[in-house]
Amino acid sequence: MTAQKKHAAPDLATIEDFLYREADCLDRVDLDAWFQLYTEDGTYWMPVSPDQQSPETEISIFYDDRLLMEIRRRNFGDEWAASMDYDVRCSHLIGNIRYAPEGGPADGWRVLSNFQAAIYYRGTTTFYAGRYTHDLVSTADGLKIRHKRVDLLNCDSAELGSIMIYL
Amino acid sequence: MTDNHTQQIRDLVRKDSVHRDLYVNPEVFELEMDRIWSKAWIFVGHDSQVPKAGDFYATEIGREPVIMVRQTNGEVRVLHNRCAHKGAKLTGRSQGNCKGFRCAYHGWTYKLDGRLAGVPARKGYDGTPFDMKDPKFSLRPVAQADSYRGFVFATLDPHAPPLPEFLDDAAATLDNIADRAPEGEVEVAGPPLRYLHNCNWKMFVENLNDAMHPMVAHASVGNAARRYMEEQPEGTVYPPEAEIIFPFGSSYEFFDKMKITALPNGHAYMGGEVSIHSDYSDVPGYMDAMVKAYGEDRTKKILSQNRHNTIFYPSFTAKDAVQAVRVCRPIAVDKTMIESWHFRLKGAPEQMLKRTILYSRLINSNASMVGPDDWDCYTRIQEGLASDAKVWLDASRGLGQEEDTGAGRRKSFGTSDLSYRNQIGAWLQYMTSEVAA
Repeated sequence: MTAQKKHAAPDLATIEDFLYREADCLDRVDLDAWFQLYTEDGTYWMPVSPDQQSPETEISIFYDDRLLMEIRRRNFGDEWAASMDYDVRCSHLIGNIRYAPEGGPADGWRVLSNFQAAIYYRGTTTFYAGRYTHDLVSTADGLKIRHKRVDLLNCDSAELGSIMIYL
Repeated sequence: MTDNHTQQIRDLVRKDSVHRDLYVNPEVFELEMDRIWSKAWIFVGHDSQVPKAGDFYATEIGREPVIMVRQTNGEVRVLHNRCAHKGAKLTGRSQGNCKGFRCAYHGWTYKLDGRLAGVPARKGYDGTPFDMKDPKFSLRPVAQADSYRGFVFATLDPHAPPLPEFLDDAAATLDNIADRAPEGEVEVAGPPLRYLHNCNWKMFVENLNDAMHPMVAHASVGNAARRYMEEQPEGTVYPPEAEIIFPFGSSYEFFDKMKITALPNGHAYMGGEVSIHSDYSDVPGYMDAMVKAYGEDRTKKILSQNRHNTIFYPSFTAKDAVQAVRVCRPIAVDKTMIESWHFRLKGAPEQMLKRTILYSRLINSNASMVGPDDWDCYTRIQEGLASDAKVWLDASRGLGQEEDTGAGRRKSFGTSDLSYRNQIGAWLQYMTSEVAA
């Protein structure tokens, strides 16, 4: 029911442009720019099971709020961290961008998309794929992400090693 | 081969050092599968994963696929996940519910207790040795299975000592996890987090009582959190994340005071009365629920036990004060699956579970700012051990400074290598014990 929202729903080209901007931040490994695409109360969630209901009472791979995004961007690349002694390079592809048939914030919109991301780390390129769910809101600074859910195809598999950066 | 490699194995372990073959030699790994993972009690799961009759959970004991399944009489059995006909695994799923098992290949069916229920077109076996009642045509139960406070262990060795004897005082960690629930019971909360490690299984287990690494390997996340907090306005209340992250940067003296206690069979625990989990804030309502259930004295006693990591050698590690456990499943000499499982304290406020989950996400997750640094260090060792420059790993810290506290138990300062040497001692014991012909 977008009629109740303060702003008219952006057209898909605008949404697409915004999602590409987010992917570009990650491809440039620029977490300082990336986290600014989120609202102050924004969250980023990567569950361990396909239908996971709660990030708080079940374990997740990621569930970052502003605080953890702030710590993570300061920790990223720290030469004291063994895991940060290597380049991280990313390449994201996003497609099938569409409005979700239901759900989403009362003051915004839920957008679904499919993604494929290749992450180069420690001499190996790992291929990730799955679905993004973006809850977007319109602010004075333009579109922002209130919540992003990343459903990895292999979220519960026995093949996931370290994941060094948001997907 | 006649001596079962016994002398070769003994030559790999010195009083103060360990040969790299323990970590990189595939032949050693194969022997470990037979002599350790087929002999010791291995953690299978928690009985709350299979609450109803027919609920099953499939996993491995070493290399052996097994199924933990709830019977109609409430008992939990552990069966080999292998059809008695051609050996196919009976379930491809790791969990589910069924009335009985049916092999997907030729349709042999089994009751929940493993007894053969039927084979298609049985007439074809007329006049052959096939017998519905012969146990060799049923699903084989593992040699021994038992549970302690709901934690199910099994062994492939019919001669292994009973589970309580194997656990020794490590059992008190499981008691404490369950006792921290006002109802005296815990249940698994949600699916596990799986994290594939590119290292030998022993590196992971050894690290859990290694108190010389947190202030180095985990310095960066603490510093990042501190830098962020310092930028906040004066008087900002530290969030729970800070309570969890900061103790990892504690001093050598702090970890020394935590003490390390080595137990028989390679088990050990850090802490006891204080640990890096001692100073967590109270969760509203939890104390009231505990005192109501246990009274003040007993509550105080339960909450005063604070073991950081207890190692149940070789397969299982637990944190009593956090209600989180990690399960070690070796796959190859340089590949190990680590599963993190989490428990709800029955009768406690949901906030307790949220803290358990927050803890594990901050520390154990593949994407945390702690776990990947451990992961990287293990991988570096695995890679570094390829070098012929030095083939011995040092294990000498605190050697000769342990105190014998009786009954096969020893105690030392927290940053001692005592737990490492204790695990290697158990390793040698398993690896050189008489192997049944």
